[in-house]
Amino acid sequence: MATDSAPSADGARRRGALARAAPAGLLWVAAVAAVTAGLVALRGALDKAHIALVYLLVVLAASARRGRRVGVALAILCFFCFEIFLLPPYHGLALQAPADWLVLAAFLSTSVVAAQLLDRARREAAAAQRRAQEIEHLSRLGAETLNAGRAEDAVEAAARVIRSTLGLGWCGIHQRDPGTGAFRLVGAAARPDFDPASEAWTDAILAYVVEHRAAAVRRLDGALHVVGVGEEAAGAVALAQPDARSMLLPLGVRGSVVGVLALADDRPILLDAAQQRFVDALGYYAALAVERVRLAAEAEHAEALRHAERLKDALLAAVSHDLRTPLTTIKALAHEIREGGDERAAIIEVEADRLNRLVADLLDLSRLQAGALPLNPELHAADDLLGAALDRLAGTPRVGDVRVELDAAEPLIGRFDFVHSLRALVNLIENALKYSPAGSPVEVVARREGDDVVFSVLDRGAGIPASAVDRIFEPFFRGPDVAPDTAGAGLGLAIARRLAEAQGGTIRYAPRPGGGSIFSLHLPAADAASVCAPSS
Amino acid sequence: MEGVTALVIDDEPQIRRVVRNALEAEGARVIEAETGREGIDRAAAELPALIVLDLGLPDMEGIRVCTEIRKWSAAPIIVLSARHAEREKVALLDAGADDYVTKPFSPPELRARARAQLRRARLAGGQADAVVEVDGLRIDLAGRTLQRDGTDIHLTPTEWDLLRTFVRHAGRTLTHRQIFREVWRDPAGDAQAYLRVHVANLRRKIERDPVRPQLIITEPGVGYRFRAIG
Repeated sequence: MATDSAPSADGARRRGALARAAPAGLLWVAAVAAVTAGLVALRGALDKAHIALVYLLVVLAASARRGRRVGVALAILCFFCFEIFLLPPYHGLALQAPADWLVLAAFLSTSVVAAQLLDRARREAAAAQRRAQEIEHLSRLGAETLNAGRAEDAVEAAARVIRSTLGLGWCGIHQRDPGTGAFRLVGAAARPDFDPASEAWTDAILAYVVEHRAAAVRRLDGALHVVGVGEEAAGAVALAQPDARSMLLPLGVRGSVVGVLALADDRPILLDAAQQRFVDALGYYAALAVERVRLAAEAEHAEALRHAERLKDALLAAVSHDLRTPLTTIKALAHEIREGGDERAAIIEVEADRLNRLVADLLDLSRLQAGALPLNPELHAADDLLGAALDRLAGTPRVGDVRVELDAAEPLIGRFDFVHSLRALVNLIENALKYSPAGSPVEVVARREGDDVVFSVLDRGAGIPASAVDRIFEPFFRGPDVAPDTAGAGLGLAIARRLAEAQGGTIRYAPRPGGGSIFSLHLPAADAASVCAPSS
Repeated sequence: MEGVTALVIDDEPQIRRVVRNALEAEGARVIEAETGREGIDRAAAELPALIVLDLGLPDMEGIRVCTEIRKWSAAPIIVLSARHAEREKVALLDAGADDYVTKPFSPPELRARARAQLRRARLAGGQADAVVEVDGLRIDLAGRTLQRDGTDIHLTPTEWDLLRTFVRHAGRTLTHRQIFREVWRDPAGDAQAYLRVHVANLRRKIERDPVRPQLIITEPGVGYRFRAIG
């Protein structure tokens, strides 16, 4: 290695290089001596131009192999050998023909210029070779990060290539968990003799680097400095710091900081311009790799959620199916026994129905809370929903107390899921029947109210105490005055409201003037006029 | 149901027993099958007048059993299904099933459905009457006139087509799609979305109380069923 092409080398390395260069220099002096001896033997038969040409060849060869300084030194040596041994009178610094000085001067200047030119060509070749190496490293990193099967492997590869390319002791890539904000070392590479334990950074510093797009350096004396805060080239600022033994550089992709690149060595990190450019490019690859880790983790998380959801659905379906078979058997046997004359069996039938309702309520609530209820919103008439609700209640003891009022001349039209809305309305009417005295009517009124079709259920029960109004839609809530033997688990209103909300509606409570409650089911209305035009 | 052969296809022995007891109480002869394959074979061998089919069979989809049997048999098929299975019920009805009963059901519920289907199947064999009387309503399909208690009721052309479709399939649950296909025929356009609105209008004209309908019964999430005639 030439002594003049290592600006980053310290004193010790420089001395080592000189020691290696010295014997090489002596070798070339010996070569000149040998050539001179050969020429002296033939000097009677040789022309001056031939001699100059031979020396020039030696100088060029030395320049090409050993650089400009050796070349120039040899040119001067050859100049003297030429003058002393090969030009008459063949001794001392005197010449017979003054024109020979011209020959010597031309030789010297030609040699020096040639040495300079050769040296420049050599440097350019070396730079081109380095550039080629950079490109090779980058393409290797690109290939490794792209080919890595798992996203984590890509980050590992990035750390490895960065460390070995820059010749540093350690390279680590930290990723910030988008959920918890904690940092994780997702990829790292260390030189075998380097102890990575000395390179611990606190999460606080890592977080600062990410949040402020800054860089941090740790000096040889252990002092910590944050540099380049908010600058696009924060990394370059950090790399320009003297005496930095380790540093943190922000890793950005598309304008956002996704991670932190940590570099460390056991001596100051000094990178030339080409290496700094290289860090920029490598950093981008590393950032992409970190981003890929994040996306892969997100995808895994979503897949896990979907899997859990499928399991839950399967479980719900299995529970639902497995309970219905024994319930059907129980109901049927109870019915047969009742037909046989034992009226007590009627209680079994009623209780089986109640159990079925409870299971259905729990399953529905669980689906609603998971947002897993399939919806099928279509255009429906309010008449139809009211009729279906009365039909559903047909078997219950107090259905005769239900009064339905439908004052619109044209059917009221809404866009809603019929099955879910029916369930909600039936729950409201059942609730009103349950909490109002026998014989007092429960009124059900449908009307248009702004953008809603509203089904109001009015009773003359005790109403809801003000202290409980906020909680009546909570699952399992029972009013403070409700008798303990009243049927139901306190799920009806909770399910009804969630069913309404799932399709863009709601359920509201208001105290009824004169005593009692008004529960209103609001569902999205549709325009009846446009609906009936096409075919009537 | 005296002398009628009914086939029950169900993998659960308890449910088969429930169906057997319910139908035998009416005088039917009940045969059983545990799997879909066996059900198809027994239906072909014994030509039952009624088939009760459970959807949760281990060996094949209920809809395939239904389609297979429909290829060569017109016997009414009643499907046993779970709640929350509206989409499944619709698919089954579209594939040729006639009605469904939701589990857990009681024996009278199943018997009522079975009787209605058997009666409908018997009538379907004969010539459809041009004039039908039901619940005080006189429907003259050929003359396109409609009277309740002697008073004329005027229907729009769409409402007539709807009523004719309902009467033709009286006693049978029709899915929205089946009704739509028969009334509009043209599968294009938004008319399907308005089907329920036309039914509401028709009910206001022919039912005594449109919110307590006696003729056009809503099957929530599935379709409509016209009251059985005769």
